[in-house]
Amino acid sequence: MSIQEQYKKRVRELLSSGAVKMVIGYQAGTTADRRRPLFIRTPEEAEKLVLDSACIANLSGYLVTEGLLSDEKSVGIFLRPDGIRSINILAAEAQLNPEQVVILGFDGNDKEVTALQGEKARDFSAIIASIKEHAPEAPRNPQLEQIEKMSPKERFAFWQAEFSRCIKCYACRQACPMCYCRRCIVDSNQPQWVNTSSHTLGNLEWNVVRAFHLSGRCVGCGNCDRACPVNIPLRLINAKMAGEVLGAFDHFAGMSETQEPVLASFKKDDSETFIL
Amino acid sequence: MAKIGVFICHCGENIGAKVDCTKLAATLGEHPGVAIAVDYKYFCSDPGQESVKKAIRDNNLTGVVVAACSPRMHEATFRKACAEAGLNPYMCEIANIREQCSWVHNDPVQATEKAADITRSMVEKVKRNNNLQPIEVPVTRRALVIGGGIAGIQAALDIANAGQEVVLVEREPTLGGHMAQLSETFPTLDCSQCIMTPRMVEAAQHPKIRLLTYAEVVGVDGYIGNFHVKVKMKARYVDTESCTGCGDCITKCPNKKILSEFDCGLGKRPAIYTPFAQSVPNKPIIDKANCTYFKNGKCKVCVKVCQLNSINFEMQDEFIDLEIGAIVVATGFQVQDNSVYGEYGYGKYKDVINGLQFERLASASGPTSGKILRPSDGKEPETVVFIQCAGSRDPSKGVRYCSKICCMYTAKHAMLYAHKVHGGKSNIFYMDIRAAGKGYDEFTRRAIEEDEASYLRGRVSKVWEENGKLMVRGVDTLLGIPVVIAADMVVLATAMVPQPDAKDFAKTIGIGYDEYGFFNEAHLKLRPVESSTAGIFLAGACQSPKDIPDSVAQASASASKILALFSKEKLEREPVVATNNEATCAGCWGCVLACPYNAIEKKDIVDRSGKVIKRVASVNPGLCQGCGTCVTFCRSNSLDLAGFTEKQIFAEVMGL
Ligand SMILES: Cc1cc2nc3c(=O)[nH]c(=O)nc-3n(C[C@H](O)[C@H](O)[C@H](O)COP(=O)(O)OP(=O)(O)OC[C@H]3O[C@@H](n4cnc5c(N)ncnc54)[C@H](O)[C@@H]3O)c2cc1C
Ligand code: SF4
Ligand code: SF4
Ligand code: SF4
Ligand code: SF4
Repeated sequence: MSIQEQYKKRVRELLSSGAVKMVIGYQAGTTADRRRPLFIRTPEEAEKLVLDSACIANLSGYLVTEGLLSDEKSVGIFLRPDGIRSINILAAEAQLNPEQVVILGFDGNDKEVTALQGEKARDFSAIIASIKEHAPEAPRNPQLEQIEKMSPKERFAFWQAEFSRCIKCYACRQACPMCYCRRCIVDSNQPQWVNTSSHTLGNLEWNVVRAFHLSGRCVGCGNCDRACPVNIPLRLINAKMAGEVLGAFDHFAGMSETQEPVLASFKKDDSETFIL
Repeated sequence: MAKIGVFICHCGENIGAKVDCTKLAATLGEHPGVAIAVDYKYFCSDPGQESVKKAIRDNNLTGVVVAACSPRMHEATFRKACAEAGLNPYMCEIANIREQCSWVHNDPVQATEKAADITRSMVEKVKRNNNLQPIEVPVTRRALVIGGGIAGIQAALDIANAGQEVVLVEREPTLGGHMAQLSETFPTLDCSQCIMTPRMVEAAQHPKIRLLTYAEVVGVDGYIGNFHVKVKMKARYVDTESCTGCGDCITKCPNKKILSEFDCGLGKRPAIYTPFAQSVPNKPIIDKANCTYFKNGKCKVCVKVCQLNSINFEMQDEFIDLEIGAIVVATGFQVQDNSVYGEYGYGKYKDVINGLQFERLASASGPTSGKILRPSDGKEPETVVFIQCAGSRDPSKGVRYCSKICCMYTAKHAMLYAHKVHGGKSNIFYMDIRAAGKGYDEFTRRAIEEDEASYLRGRVSKVWEENGKLMVRGVDTLLGIPVVIAADMVVLATAMVPQPDAKDFAKTIGIGYDEYGFFNEAHLKLRPVESSTAGIFLAGACQSPKDIPDSVAQASASASKILALFSKEKLEREPVVATNNEATCAGCWGCVLACPYNAIEKKDIVDRSGKVIKRVASVNPGLCQGCGTCVTFCRSNSLDLAGFTEKQIFAEVMGL
């Protein structure tokens, strides 16, 4: 049986046994290589499910939809390892109860997908740990290396040129599972720290704020990058920040449900001597 | 409509010489919302303050900006003046045009422009200030003294004698600290134990003092007036309630070959022991690491001899929680480990000892009953070489400072030696003789003139053994000749260094420390007994090298500060505290974790039927110290700090 059929069967079981009230997965999209989210509420609807290498979106953000989990019922969700890491972060930041999340895990490359064993986020901790372990030797993005070689002035010019295209649509924010705040700092206008208009300063402010708010939290799923209508290479910023927190604090986002947020926690053996 | 008064101070020449204050007043007078802008030579003076008050009343001012020195100097002064004129004190702000402008700039034109920018930005802030009311918090009238050396004992007694409760925590099995180890004390040569032990007993028996020995402070939360302290009571394996201190167990313990810490390794003690005969409390403890029963599971001789069944091998560490209003830190010092001086042979030759070991040899209660005998063969040394600054003032060994006491105690050692070994010859290598203090210079003179100590100005380069003698090679810089002395014993005047765990301990209780690990005072000259954390005070050698008189003086000073604090039932606190916008809070608990004072709690928001609809962060204003950490952390921008609201800061920045 293909993995897609196996999982269809599993979804039907989960729903008919009442173990979950809904399963979030993928269905065919507008073009052959695109998938869109599918919200399966009855065993019959499972027929529409598609699971193949084109299923790349991180669906975890749908779980924090207002009220979805407040009835304490469980929801099933198709996730790759990055999405499972997102569940850990959302749990660590008290946005959901991981007991309510039944994971249908899978992984793969651009050709095929394979099933991952486990049901709750913590069942996948060995996989996540091994990703962290291999993170330093993973091939680095050549464009990132190029940018790192630039002088600060060149680098600033590069990003200004990139950000100049930003239209402040906030699609990157909407797509990111970590951007769950009901009011984002950019929507706060008393005072208006981040300028709303899409001019040089406003665009820079927004993108810098986004980078900081996601450092130590971004799992590199690429939702934001794919969502950006003007193709700003947000993946480069995400990868850079993730590398920085890994190097400086040995922090790899989404290791466990209890991982402390790197920018809010403090260790006594911190090498910064100015801290009391 | 805002009516802001701007008061520009010349600070004599301090500001006036660089900033054109009259022009500044004219410029600010034009700024929207400024009702009056004036300059004056010294606004902090009495007539200066009066003129501010008058201007407030005459112009019905809604806010005040004083452009002057740092707010650390006079913010309180001017806020008080404003309050006296009927304005809420938090409607007054200081624009710092001295430290941040006139003192650091040379060009008067540019300095004046910058001063205008700074002042304008403060005017913009004040326009958005709100009236704030001070927060009152109750004071727990109970002091904690950490460290039971002479400094800690003195502080505890002073506070207790004024009728306030004290908890005295000492981590060793007995009170006393280093002073209990000393033989006789400079500059009067009175017996250290004779003046120390009565103090120890007094502290232990005082009805207002709760003594916790063999205990350690493991956590401090809260803030001035309201600290929550966790103390670990280390297991003694002897029940102090029932034990009468008869000492049968000590005599019978078969394991008697353990080097005594109290005697600096010159004497021996059993595995169940009291550090010295006058220990307070005089109840033994079991040294778990060396006890045969703990090592092999067999022995229990002590259990058999104890008539009162006081010995309990099952005893566990216990934790006590204390509510405390103020803390004295009196954790003392250690002597430097002399093994850094390989060239002096410490650790290699038995007869090269440090000053503290010499104290034990000279002490009547010491391992030699007060006779000066060589550790190697128990013979009386005929020639002794004392090396001063063995560690101090030597950057290459990591100690740049002067330990302050070694000149004095070396002179004392030479005297004690002369009194105890007639005909003994003492030679003292020194860099300088520093004997400032009441009766101190006279004391060192006495060592030279009456007790015939021979002082050689110069350093020692090497000590080695030859034909049963310790050969000391040094230089007499006054004569300009190298000298070699054949000695029977060498005494190193070792540097006073912080406790080895001082830095960690400082982090545990939340105070600052210097590069060595001595605790930092709030101000070296004006607030030498306060730490930088409100409500925590310092006493004794934990702050810097000190002798007994200095330690006692500082301890009494700390006690008096605490008694002043305890003289009131409530403490007024600045209303600069954080508040949370519950509507926008995402409940991520980042702030809860980030707050260094544990001031943020989780709060349930419930609907009418009691169902939790949302959980949000909630700041406890009694605990919040207004540090602003949470404000910078919150991604949803839900937190704000009274007195420094985002609106105010934004206006301030935009005003530049
Ligand atoms: C060789 C020598 C000779 C000296 N001779 C003289 C002299 O003749 N005259 C003179 O005036 N001064 C003399 N001094 C100096 C004198 O010893 C000190 O000034 C004095 O002991 C300082 O007292 P203190 O209470 O600050 O520190 P200490 O005596 O060191 O006491 C500190 C106490 O705190 C305890 N403690 C440490 N950390 C903790 C913790 N975390 N929790 C709980 N308890 C803790 C320690 O166990 C100790 O009991 C001499 C010093 C030396 C080294
Ligand atoms: S920032 Fe982008 S890549 Fe990172 S978790 Fe959010 S959506 Fe995914
Ligand atoms: S998705 Fe792209 S264009 Fe839209 S706000 Fe984000 S970076 Fe700007
Ligand atoms: S950091 Fe902000 S959003 Fe998160 S719990 Fe605190 S106040 Fe709420
Ligand atoms: S300002 Fe915030 S972080 Fe600082 S003490 Fe108050 S609540 Fe804690």
